[in-house]
Amino acid sequence: MGKLAARLPHFPVSLRFAWLNLLRNGRRSLLSILIIAIAVFALTSAGGFGLYTYESLKESTARDTGHLTLSQPGYFTRDEDMPLSNGLDNSQALIKQIIADDAIRSIQPRIYLSGLVSNGSKSTIFMGTGVNDREFDMKGPFLDIRAGQSLSDVTSSRYDPAKPQVMLGVDLARNLKVDVGDWVTLLATTSDGALNAFDFNVRGIYSTGVPDLDKRQLYIHITSAQELLASDKVSTLSVFLFETAQTNAVHQRLSQQLHQRLSSSDQLSKTSDQLSQPIEITPWQDRAFFYNKVKDLYDRIFGIMGTVMGLVVFVALFNTMTMTVTERTREIGTLSALGSYPSEIVRGFLCEAGLLALIGSMLGAVSNALMCVLLLFVDVQMPPPPGRSEGYPLNIYFSFELVAFTTIGVMFICLLAALFSARKGVNKPITEALIYV
Amino acid sequence: MIRFNQIQKTYQLGNQSVPALQGIDGHIQKGDMIALCGPSGSGKSTLLNILGLLDMDYQGEITLDGKVYPTERLAAAKVRRQKLGFVFQRFNLVPVMTALENVAYPLHLNGFSKQQQDELALQMLEKVGLADFTQHRPDNLSGGQQQRVAIARALVHKPTLVIADEPTASLDSQSANVVIDIMKQLGHEMGTTFIVATHDPRMATRCDRSIALFDGRLVNHASDIRGMSWAS
Repeated sequence: MGKLAARLPHFPVSLRFAWLNLLRNGRRSLLSILIIAIAVFALTSAGGFGLYTYESLKESTARDTGHLTLSQPGYFTRDEDMPLSNGLDNSQALIKQIIADDAIRSIQPRIYLSGLVSNGSKSTIFMGTGVNDREFDMKGPFLDIRAGQSLSDVTSSRYDPAKPQVMLGVDLARNLKVDVGDWVTLLATTSDGALNAFDFNVRGIYSTGVPDLDKRQLYIHITSAQELLASDKVSTLSVFLFETAQTNAVHQRLSQQLHQRLSSSDQLSKTSDQLSQPIEITPWQDRAFFYNKVKDLYDRIFGIMGTVMGLVVFVALFNTMTMTVTERTREIGTLSALGSYPSEIVRGFLCEAGLLALIGSMLGAVSNALMCVLLLFVDVQMPPPPGRSEGYPLNIYFSFELVAFTTIGVMFICLLAALFSARKGVNKPITEALIYV
Repeated sequence: MIRFNQIQKTYQLGNQSVPALQGIDGHIQKGDMIALCGPSGSGKSTLLNILGLLDMDYQGEITLDGKVYPTERLAAAKVRRQKLGFVFQRFNLVPVMTALENVAYPLHLNGFSKQQQDELALQMLEKVGLADFTQHRPDNLSGGQQQRVAIARALVHKPTLVIADEPTASLDSQSANVVIDIMKQLGHEMGTTFIVATHDPRMATRCDRSIALFDGRLVNHASDIRGMSWAS
């Protein structure tokens, strides 16, 4: 390897000497490189796992709630006196006003309702959501249908209005001992405060992955929900975007657009372009309680892990560089005697530490990349997170940004360790350094 | 010319003060090769370190070509890289550098271009008879060859003064003679002043002049030192 450096004429001289100096105690340098590589691998793998988890949870949340939710102001903080009393009027007009935005994939109305669900002999509380069938396209792989199918298109000729459909959470279906094709009765309070009941045919059984939700949750068509609640309002409008990353931009655009329309409706007589009521836009992050908690927890765990790894690297490198500096005390004395400034000598040691950091980081990054690829082929299942019933496949994202940040961090730590060690060496009196044995 | 006046140096060993140099005066003409003799503990190395600006903690005044020696660390390093050269007893070549790179190092410190460094270093290696060993690393050279590389390194940037600390002590007699010849020849050729601390009578007798130290005092300026005791 020393010959390799000698054969590279354009290899910077300082780096070549640093490389040759590292080879003087190859085993120690190798050990340092391995420690750095392991630290970088651990950090990038843990970070990659974190990124995968964040991304999955982000997508799952955004596809569940919608990237943006349009509602009456304070809808998520105030309780409704009556069902849909805080709902949106004339939701179709509102949808028409904003659907033109190129970033918007779909806008889906929702009605949140609760009541009793019964199989005729047994009743239990439900928490339902009235949705369009298109909503299930938005959810994609994040809806786990265990039996049957999702709600069908009400405009389709195959849809039978005499058989309104319901999808039940898996534990709710088990509790009621119903299966696909069975009938259940939903009992709810209408928006006027009266009681209303409809029979629904079980179209599908699904799992959210959260046992508490699976015991209570169900989906019905939005039209069925409006009939059950005797209202033409909807609770919210969920705005689904093509890209989650566009959330903030679309949020700003829609806010401006809706604000302008509300202002003009205050001043002039109403037209179809003007809003009849103020609208609040809530981005998915504000309702992603699980995502935010997991991110907060993981950030802390990875922060502590990163600090510990950083300390390990610092101690290992400090030890290596201190030994190196001690062994080369006489050489430092010679270079000083010849007129090298302390900073020039320290720079040489920094070069060596930098090389160690760079090689170690590259090795760690390559190992991380290999692990990412390996996990694409090998199915490793993670246990269910707290409060969830489903495990998930272990995946690690390879992120160049993460590798770059980790490398910069490790480089900084290594340079710091080398600086402390080398300063001690160059501060030794030259006359003592020259006779050091 | 180097001139030194009332050089005093005291080492502190615990509570005890040990005087190493007790008021040394003298001057050395440009191009002279001076032997610094004396038994162990006489203060040779201390004086050599002070004259070589390796130790700046002393009393008295030293001037080199009329300029007073600095006492600040970085200023001293600048004078060393520009005006001084060093030859050590154990050669002290940088192991990862080739002979050519070792010789070129002072030129690198003085800001010469890479091409100039290579040309001048090669010329210097030719002068010490090692033109065929430019790419050899120190561990592939004999002791005599290493010391010749060290002499080339000490002289390549044309310093005013070269400090040589027992340059022949680690060499066999044949290599020692070669080293002495080269030092003397190049010193005169380049007009460089040499101060050579030595226990070696062969070395001392071949210098232009000698300075003898005993108990930190100058005891002899005689050019013929054959009568001195070399007992250490």
